[in-house]
Amino acid sequence: MTAAGPVEHYREAFAALAARDDAAAERSAAFERFAALGFPGPRDEAWRYTNLRRLESRRFAPTDAAEAAVVSLPSPLAPHRLVVVDGRLRRDLGSSGLPAGVSVRSLAEARSAGLSVAALLRVPAGGGTERFAALNAALCPDVLFLEIADSALPEAIELVFVPGASEGSMQHPRLVVRAGRGSVARLVLRHSGDDAERLVNVVVDVEVGPDAALHVYRLFEPGERTFHIERLEATVGQRGTVFVHDAQLGAGLARLDLNARLAAPQAAAELTGLFLADGSRHLDTQVRADHLDVGTRSLQDYRGIAAGRGRAIFNAKAIVHPGAQQSEARQSSRNLLLTPGAEIDTKPELEIYADDVKCSHGATTGQLDAVALFYLRSRGLSETEARSALTRAFAGAVLSRMDHEAFARVVRDTLDLRLARLLETRP
Amino acid sequence: MLSIRDLHARIGARKILKGLDLEVRAGEVHAIMGPNGSGKSTLASVLAGRDGYEVTAGRVEYDGRDLLALAPEERARAGVFLAFQYPVEIPGVNNAYLLKAALNAIRRERGLPEVDAFEFLALVRGKMQLMQMDESFLNRGVNEGFSGGEKKRNEILQMAVLEPRLALLDETDSGLDIDALRVVANGVNSLRSPDRAVVLVTHYQRLLDYVEPDVVHVLYDGRILKSGDKSLALELERRGYDWVRQEAQVA
Ligand SMILES: Nc1ncnc2c1ncn2[C@@H]1O[C@H](COP(=O)(O)OP(=O)(O)O)[C@@H](O)[C@H]1O
Ligand SMILES: [Mg+2]
Repeated sequence: MTAAGPVEHYREAFAALAARDDAAAERSAAFERFAALGFPGPRDEAWRYTNLRRLESRRFAPTDAAEAAVVSLPSPLAPHRLVVVDGRLRRDLGSSGLPAGVSVRSLAEARSAGLSVAALLRVPAGGGTERFAALNAALCPDVLFLEIADSALPEAIELVFVPGASEGSMQHPRLVVRAGRGSVARLVLRHSGDDAERLVNVVVDVEVGPDAALHVYRLFEPGERTFHIERLEATVGQRGTVFVHDAQLGAGLARLDLNARLAAPQAAAELTGLFLADGSRHLDTQVRADHLDVGTRSLQDYRGIAAGRGRAIFNAKAIVHPGAQQSEARQSSRNLLLTPGAEIDTKPELEIYADDVKCSHGATTGQLDAVALFYLRSRGLSETEARSALTRAFAGAVLSRMDHEAFARVVRDTLDLRLARLLETRP
Repeated sequence: MLSIRDLHARIGARKILKGLDLEVRAGEVHAIMGPNGSGKSTLASVLAGRDGYEVTAGRVEYDGRDLLALAPEERARAGVFLAFQYPVEIPGVNNAYLLKAALNAIRRERGLPEVDAFEFLALVRGKMQLMQMDESFLNRGVNEGFSGGEKKRNEILQMAVLEPRLALLDETDSGLDIDALRVVANGVNSLRSPDRAVVLVTHYQRLLDYVEPDVVHVLYDGRILKSGDKSLALELERRGYDWVRQEAQVA
């Protein structure tokens, strides 16, 4: 790598940000981890379909300056709201107060409460996005540490992530969630943004305690000039469950690594969602479940839609590690190409190192059913109406699983709007 | 109302309709009978505008318009309805959604205001009673998991709601038990009126006991070989189709 290479750019940004908090050692270590891994090389299997040359060529500026004055916020999806601008919690913009049993703290607050800074800036190991998770640990202006007390059953909370700085900036928001034993909670993570060019490099580090259930509803909406990289990692305790409902509807180039570590007996994960790669978006989603103990269960179920010059990659991996007997892993990936130029590559992978397990997987990629399309048109529906009804039906199985009313409605409406636009502009 | 002249159609290289003539006037019910593979469903598909069929000669006029020049949805909005021989299952597209979208598309075309959810429900409830269908069908996917008989009833329900001017029924009676057949026949009879026409494709004269046709045609190898009144159906039931072919060869 030459001196003017992308890593050096980030090094300069890192140097300029030094001495913000008392975590200098952790941040330096994280930065060196990023520098050592660098950007993925051409033969990096984890980046086989996603080329980062364009991202490497950009010199995004960090946003450690004064807080942005104006941000526009979408209307709320849950009774409680936290607003995160450029990676910092803005208490003045969110709802006042949080439900009982929920607290949110900054890195400094967590530190003075005696919590481990190293744990909050932890870099999840392995996978194609470790380098970016490390960069996030080095550059994140703060950590949002959201804690759900043992046995708490709070109302749903929405976290809205918005960029404050404009064109050419980068954001490294970091959210750490601990769901205490026996708690049940619902979090909406909504990334909104505009058409400016920027990098949004997210880390969401989740720990689900024993007997807890955490539902995460994730919506990514920013425009086609956003580079988006995210590592969402959930570690699940005994009989705990993490549910992730994902809607990747934005970004020009996106890479999401969604990992569940089922680290104790009967831990479970349901990782489901959909993506819409229209326009010239390139969306790369990698879902992975590690079965590390007995009786663990995972479901990975995604629907993908591509149109125009859109391109999507969906890779689902379930690994049943030695000793994880009586585990169950189910994978399903169904993909729809709405126009001839679009492309989706899907690969379900099962790696099984235990003998008493139940696994299933399936992957399909196809077009709208011509017979169904004719049937609907023969009843008087226009071609656009018919195509959009069938496309909605295709996404329906995953949409109907989104058991958060307001979230599901926004996803549905956004999808409808985008489908109407792209079906109507067809030649 | 419907005037078909010398219609030739093929699928790929295979010629299926080979000079078909048919004249249907408003107020009439026509039955088309013929052995398997003679081209009955092909005729229905060509009239409804399905892809994959190439019309190589002939023309079809519907109310004085060139029917073949219209897109499938334009035909539907102009009042043409095809009850499919094999209705399609469309999981995830709600039956009620389809009925309402179809009804409003047709009403818009006729210059009528769209029905709201309330008016729609009132209308559909009445038609469902006629078809002896449970209302729970409304909230299921189109034909999703329906039995063969339920699918056929659902086709006729759609027809009853959409009130087409020209209804084509492709073997809607096949596979129905006698009670279901009566219900379907009721649906068809309730549509009969001086300004509408019905074309029934059927194998059995059984249906014709309940829906009395004005004209019966024999379709054989892509052409109408013989036409007659209701008694022709009875004769076909007794004697099969071979004699019609022999008679046509002699002539
Ligand atoms: N998609 C197709 N490709 C090739 N041949 C077809 C296709 N569909 C129907 N045919 C043939 O066309 C002929 C007429 O079929 P069809 O119209 O369905 O007959 P019917 O409804 O009278 O039983 C049959 O010989 C059938 O095998
Ligand atoms: Mg047929």
